[in-house]
This record gives sequence, C-alpha cells and structure tokens, in this order.
Amino acid sequence: MGKKKTLSFTFITMIIGLMLAVQFRSVQTPEVRDTRDTWQLREDLNEEMELKARLIKEIRANEQKLAEYETERKQGQEQALKNTLNELKEQAGLTDVTGPGVTIQISKLDDELLLDHVDYTLSPDLLRRLLNELNMYGAKNVSIGGQRVINTTVIREIAGETKINGRSLKNFPLEIRVITETFEDAQELYNRMLVSKAAEEFFIDNLKVNVLDPEMSVTVPAYEDSIRIRNIESVKADKGES
Amino acid sequence: MWLPVLGLVIGILLGLMSNFSIPDEYSNYLSIAVLAALDTLFGGIRAHLQNIYDEKVFVSGFFFNIILAASLAFLGVHLGVDLYLAAVFAFGVRLFQNIAVIRRILIAKNSTK
Repeated sequence: MGKKKTLSFTFITMIIGLMLAVQFRSVQTPEVRDTRDTWQLREDLNEEMELKARLIKEIRANEQKLAEYETERKQGQEQALKNTLNELKEQAGLTDVTGPGVTIQISKLDDELLLDHVDYTLSPDLLRRLLNELNMYGAKNVSIGGQRVINTTVIREIAGETKINGRSLKNFPLEIRVITETFEDAQELYNRMLVSKAAEEFFIDNLKVNVLDPEMSVTVPAYEDSIRIRNIESVKADKGES
Repeated sequence: MWLPVLGLVIGILLGLMSNFSIPDEYSNYLSIAVLAALDTLFGGIRAHLQNIYDEKVFVSGFFFNIILAASLAFLGVHLGVDLYLAAVFAFGVRLFQNIAVIRRILIAKNSTK
C-alpha cells in the first residue's frame, strides 16, 4: 500500500470516525431522569416562587420609577413656568412679602407745639424724597399706608390730597414698612434713617417721623390693583426668530 | 495497514471528547453522510484489493457522495417524500456488494496461499 494511499485512507477513516461519534452522541443523548422526591420538589418550587416574587417586585419598582420619570418630565416645564411666574409676581409686587425690615411711622406733631390750627398734609415731594432715600439704603419692598410701592407707583397731589396708587394718604399716623435683604441691612437702614435729613424735613410740615427698631419679620402687602401697562405690546414671534 | 484503523479510533475519540452534538433535525443528514462515507471507504478497499484503486476517484467520491446524499435528503425533506431512504437503500446495497467482493477476494487470496 502506497504511502499516499494510506494517508488518504487514514484521513477518510478519521472523518468517518468523527461523524460516527457525533451521530452517536446526538442520537444517544442520555435521558435525564428526575429523581427528586416530593420534599425536594417542594423546596425547588419554593425557590422558584421566591425568585418570581423578587422579579415581580423588581419589575414593579422599575415601572414605578418609569411613571415617576414620565410625570416629572410632563410637570417639569409646567413647574418651571409656574416658578418663573411666581418669581416675576414677587418681583412685580403682586404678592405679600415678609422679611426683616423697619417700620417708620409718620404722625402729627403734638398740638401743644403748634401755634395755631394747621393742615396736616404730607407733601408728595417729601414722600418721594423719603422713598428715594429708603431705596438708596437698601430697601427691597416698601409699602406706604398699606399701599405697596411698585415700579409704576405714582405719588402725587390730586385736588389737595397726596395720593399713592390713587388712594389718599391722610390718615395719620402713616406707616411705612420697609423690607430689606437681611437683618443687618435692616439695622443699617434703621441707623441711616435716624440721622436722615428727609426725616427732619417732615417737621416743616408739622409731621413727626418715628423710626421703629428693626424687626425680623415685617410684612408688606401685595399691590391691590392689577398692573396696567399702556403703550406696551408683546412682540409677535412670527418669523421664527428669537 | 494499521494507520487507517488508528485514524478511525482517533476520529471516534475526537468526536466523543469534543462534546459536540448536532441538532435533532440534522441527524438525518449526518446519518446518511456516514452511510455514504462508509460506502466510499469500502469501495476504496475493494478497489485497492482489485488493484484498480485511483486516488482521485477515492477522495472525490468520498466528498461527492456525502454531499449528494445530504442534498438528496434535503430535497426529500422539502418535497415531503422520504428521499433519503433512496440514498440509504442505494448505499446499503452497494455496501453489501462491496463487502461481499472484499470477502471473496480475501477468501481467494487465502486459498491461494
């Protein structure tokens, strides 16, 4: 037998052997018998049930998380808008504000000091000056006689009466409430107001300015009317430009 | 002489140890391929004994028979006819014939000694 012939025979018998073995293995897959008794089966069942319960719990937790994320996503923008709106309202003075601050009382001068009967009128110029001073010294929110001072607040004399936001200021003592950023600011404002020139000038109008001690909690009421904006128009966003 | 037997043993061991098994639906093809391979092998032995052995015929016959048998079985599956039985029958008959020839030749050789 030639060498080549032997080699090819060997090769082919090897392949046949391989195929036989594989076929044998595939056909003769040993039958796996279940030899567990009732007790073992029960234990196995228990284990599987625990696993199932655990998996269900996990699924539930994940679903809940998913739902939370969903609602968060939905409410996120709405909440942001609401927050912005509230912030803007607060800035515009449409909400009651409570914070550290100072209360200033403007009252009539005692009658004994006066020579004869006089009108007690608060001049708008003086009030404006006082207001400017307050703003200069760090006032954040101010109300005069229960009227909130906002950006569009007008203090002026109409028919002999000083009016703020269209309401008369003739009931003395008049209370000016000032809210500052911090209590330290309130103290500083208090000190400055004690030596304020504007306060002194009220004396000319037969009025007395009394600055009360700074408090931790002073409440300034909200602006009562709705803010009317005239001559302003929102920009029409029609060209897709921002 | 003993090398082919050694090859067979090595092949079987390899197959058993490799932990390799084919899916159930393909075991038909493999069985028929085994049959074809065996047929070729015995045909080769007979040819060798009759001194008409041809290397090319033997090796090409081996692969060609396997492929033919497998494709016949495949066709049978798709036609809904058990065509692989035809292959089994053909190979079986040829296997018997080949073995019978080998037997006679061996007997004749023995008796002449």
